[in-house]
Amino acid sequence: MTLLIFNAFNGLIQGVFYALMALGLALILSLNSVINMAHGGFLVIGAYLAFTLSPYLGFWGALIISPILVGAIGMLVERLLVRPLYKRSDPLYSLLLTFGIALVIEDLTRTIWGPQGLPLEIPDIINSPVSTQYFFITGYRLFVVAVTAAAAIGLYLLLRYTLLGIRIRAGISDLETTSALGVNIYRLRALNFGFGCMFAGLAGVLAAGVLGLTPPMGNSLIMPSFVAIIVGGVGSLLGALLGGLIIGLAAGITTTYYPAASEAVIYLIMLIVLVIRPRGLFGEQGLFE
Amino acid sequence: MLPKITRRLLVQTGAVLGASTVFAPAKLAFGQGDVPIKVGMHDPLTGTYAAEGDSEVRGAKMALAEINAKGGMLGRKVELVVEDDSANAGLAAQKAHKLLEKDGCAFLMGAVSSATALSVNQVAHDKKVLYMVTGGHTDPVTGSQCHWTTFRVCTTTYMLAAGLAGTLYKKFGGKWYFITPDYAFGHTLQEAYAKLLKGMGGTVLGNSLSPLGTTDFTSFLIKAQQSKPDVLINLCDGQDLVNSMKQAAQFGLMKQFPIGGGLSELEVLAALPKEAKVGWWTLEWWWDQPNTPHVGDWVSNYQKTYNDRSYPSARTWFGYAGLHAIALGVAKANSLESHKVARALEGLELPSEIKLQPNRVYFRPGDHQLMSSEFPGEIIQDGTYPHLFKVADIVPGEKIALSEKETGCKLDYQA
Repeated sequence: MTLLIFNAFNGLIQGVFYALMALGLALILSLNSVINMAHGGFLVIGAYLAFTLSPYLGFWGALIISPILVGAIGMLVERLLVRPLYKRSDPLYSLLLTFGIALVIEDLTRTIWGPQGLPLEIPDIINSPVSTQYFFITGYRLFVVAVTAAAAIGLYLLLRYTLLGIRIRAGISDLETTSALGVNIYRLRALNFGFGCMFAGLAGVLAAGVLGLTPPMGNSLIMPSFVAIIVGGVGSLLGALLGGLIIGLAAGITTTYYPAASEAVIYLIMLIVLVIRPRGLFGEQGLFE
Repeated sequence: MLPKITRRLLVQTGAVLGASTVFAPAKLAFGQGDVPIKVGMHDPLTGTYAAEGDSEVRGAKMALAEINAKGGMLGRKVELVVEDDSANAGLAAQKAHKLLEKDGCAFLMGAVSSATALSVNQVAHDKKVLYMVTGGHTDPVTGSQCHWTTFRVCTTTYMLAAGLAGTLYKKFGGKWYFITPDYAFGHTLQEAYAKLLKGMGGTVLGNSLSPLGTTDFTSFLIKAQQSKPDVLINLCDGQDLVNSMKQAAQFGLMKQFPIGGGLSELEVLAALPKEAKVGWWTLEWWWDQPNTPHVGDWVSNYQKTYNDRSYPSARTWFGYAGLHAIALGVAKANSLESHKVARALEGLELPSEIKLQPNRVYFRPGDHQLMSSEFPGEIIQDGTYPHLFKVADIVPGEKIALSEKETGCKLDYQA
């Protein structure tokens, strides 16, 4: 029983991380209509930039600056490569493009920082277990949960109360009308893409505290985030958040009884959702049904 | 209009043809000497073992430069063709075919992942080409699945376990929990450890299989912690080892029980943050051997070749010794034919400037396994690169390897 509670808790913490990735993905998917396969790549950039910056800015400085830089890089990529593809209605083009970008980022990282894994040191204050009995709840993991919650709330406030957020939401529901009302949708989409990448960058810095840095580190983290979006519902940010938590929890519970299936179970959930409720828990009708 | 064949044209043609036969043989002989001998190397340059793969390629390139400086193989220049296998068994087999069929390589070498060593082992045998495994440790490569074509530089998983099991048992006790990477390398290593442990009278408390490339080791660590082991045996390697150790350190598990493992490597040690630099491991080669001849020179030669302040690892040595061994075999056989080279390599002892370790190092004739040493020891917690490991002992390979009979290897030379 203790084992089950431990693993369920751990699954939730893991789920929070998936949710953070999924939020960025969902943001880009809904306004830019791009299935961003390069999201894991932006995560890697975020992690490596933090590694390079932390000797100068410290961990805390890197935690703030690195995601912002990733957002800027994301906007640049959007301007140069993604934007020319908006005209083509088939989402396959941008999917292939971002898949290519993912490969380029992985190889560039390897060229710049080398294939050798690198350690990102995190401050001692958050780098120890909170209690010896619940040893897997470390200060760092709680910190990850807190940062994710802050980021999600920040995003909610931005979308709910700022002009930019209102425009983004308007763009999501009807891009043409928004454009006709005089909003520069190109700039809007660029900013939105940047925001999405910023979330990936933030996830990267946070991941680097638990994992060693390697060029392909984004690959294993990106798939569960896609699943989170599908389970939670395409187009819904709340869905992305809950989807991440659900699959994390499911994986955690499964691992107690049958560890080998802990990865398979998230795809099983995706399958069930697609069969019973293709739009996902909070998705809009019409995307898949 | 047909060209008119005059007598003059006929004579001219004849002269040219005659002259060509005079020059041609000389030119042909020169041309043959000019055709390089290709050695195909497969290693992961991407993915979880990319750092290890890179080191093996670096080592092989050092050997390549030395071999060519001394006139190559049988007077012909040697070329190394490197392919990325991403530590994927299927891809490695595909690349092995490509190296043989498209590039025309005379020999194969490489592997970090045991899974790729096993798949290329099969391809090389089908194609009757000598294959020098540099770094896939699983027992069957020179055991139940051994072939006359395959030789191996790195030690077996059994040797890795046997080099350290006794020390761990004596120091910490006999209740062990295992975290094992879920593929050939992990399985055979865990079996070897379990066998040795039971032989000494200890018990296996449990064994968690972690898929290669696992990022979150928490659930395995929770189970390990619940079992209250005397020692946690972490058999992961590469990036998986880095991630699992990093997480174990953050959970404070290092304060609850000692951690030991199978294999560690300089590449892994370098990637560990300070709090995770703990435990007892086995290395297969170490750069700091002040009393062994040639090692210091070799290390400084490495640093001249690769001017990036890095140090050579066991992997570098595998690549280096592997290509040199092929060249030594070719020279001894005076042939490029794989079966002759294979026969020449059996029992061949590596000279001290290549073996770079104190004990006798040779290819055992019965299973083609190189008898090289294990370097068990402890990680230095506040060590800085490259002073990260304290070697406790250098154990000769022949002392800890299973006997040729026990490996289950029957070499399948055709009569």
